[in-house]
Amino acid sequence: MRRQLRSELFKQRSTRTMLGLFATMIGLVALAVVLHSLLPIEPLQRHDNQLTILGRGEFLGALFATLLGALSVTTEFRHGTIRPTLLVTPLRGRVIWAKVTTSVLAGAGFGLVAGAVAVAAGLVTLGARGIDLTLDAADYSLLVAGSAVAAALMSAVGVGVGSLVRHQVPAVVGICGWLLFVEGLLAGDLVGLGGVFKFLPGSAASGITGQQPDVLLAPVVALPVLIAYALAVAAAGAWATSQRDVG
Amino acid sequence: MINQRGTADDATPVVMVSGLGKRFGTADAVVDLTFSVPRGTITGFLGPNGAGKTTTLRMLLGLAEPTAGEALVFGRRYRDLDDPARRVGAVLESSDLHPGRTGRDHLRALALAAEISTARVDEVLALVELEPAGRRRVRTYSLGMRQRLGLAAALLGDPELLVLDEPSIGLDPAGVRWLRRFLRSFAQKGRTVLVSSHMLAETAQTVDDVVIINRGHLVAAGPLDQVASPGRTLEDVFLELTGAAS
Repeated sequence: MRRQLRSELFKQRSTRTMLGLFATMIGLVALAVVLHSLLPIEPLQRHDNQLTILGRGEFLGALFATLLGALSVTTEFRHGTIRPTLLVTPLRGRVIWAKVTTSVLAGAGFGLVAGAVAVAAGLVTLGARGIDLTLDAADYSLLVAGSAVAAALMSAVGVGVGSLVRHQVPAVVGICGWLLFVEGLLAGDLVGLGGVFKFLPGSAASGITGQQPDVLLAPVVALPVLIAYALAVAAAGAWATSQRDVG
Repeated sequence: MINQRGTADDATPVVMVSGLGKRFGTADAVVDLTFSVPRGTITGFLGPNGAGKTTTLRMLLGLAEPTAGEALVFGRRYRDLDDPARRVGAVLESSDLHPGRTGRDHLRALALAAEISTARVDEVLALVELEPAGRRRVRTYSLGMRQRLGLAAALLGDPELLVLDEPSIGLDPAGVRWLRRFLRSFAQKGRTVLVSSHMLAETAQTVDDVVIINRGHLVAAGPLDQVASPGRTLEDVFLELTGAAS
């Protein structure tokens, strides 16, 4: 497994894909926080809204980590490099778990930076409007560390989704559609599923950072829920990859 | 034949395909296919487009699961080989490359997974004459350069068996000659080549044995000089056997 890990880490850094995702994520996190900071002053003074605004780091970090996990597999199918990869390592489950491991590491980095950039941007922009931040050190720590953990786990979900779907465009569209649209709709209670949505992966990821404590799962519950998703989806991807032919 | 690795399986054919079948839904891609490839030979694996050549090679290399029979390399299923990259080198498609990665980095990623040194990466790059180009991203490569990079990847582990699917597509005449000489010298060291092609004139100049399939079925197998003869070229035989003769 060690050699597969080294190979996968090398693949990550030998193209510009990761750097491009990383730069885009940072830009979007800063933009999201700045735009939210332009809301009327009164709601911005509320504790839960401040948590949600600074939680945009976790949201985008988790989204990009999921994408980077999925891309680690779908890129290989898209360009056909999966064939030479599997010729060297015919034990396909080992290849997928190596991708899970390296994606989790990169995903943690994405989440950490996204969380930190959101907090920094929030401090600057809200401070510039003269709004008092009501968050304490524990809130900030949970936002940043929780963002790293949430993104790391979501990257494992991404590898699993990528392994199940294989095709790059449907995988990326599916992930964006799910996290941005489906969970967004459920969170908005449009379909009246009540408390179900908070158990979904994207909402559990947000729960880990302590956002919307009255709506989302508490961090201590959200964490094991997301770990279960990460393990289940990654294992399903590894199993499917070991069963299906590679065209 | 001399076995360079000194293992005790000299008598075992390097490739042993028996009763191999592959069915996709209701379509049979490969049917009850049996042939073997002896050590130290170059065997041409021939058939019209869609005959099942690539499907057979994928099953041999563990990328696809047979629905009947088995395909063994060195007496074992590919995935059961201890260190496959050091025993078998294969090129299935020349386009199996990430356009945004340099040629050298493509090889390094594979070398890391097989625990092969970077020095060997530079050695195979030089061998296929991609020395300075290896530092460029693959998107700038011609088809011939991609073919040679694929071959370099197959050679990383200094394998005993090379499996090549249509390797001369995209090569210019000099490249075709280079490949022919390369395969010849590879086989002269007691190593084995299984090469699929539908370029019959080129194949006739390169191979010792042929295996011809049509619509998934074996139609001829044996030494080239027995399958073809001075009055009857490989092309004549091929077109007759595959029902495409005019």
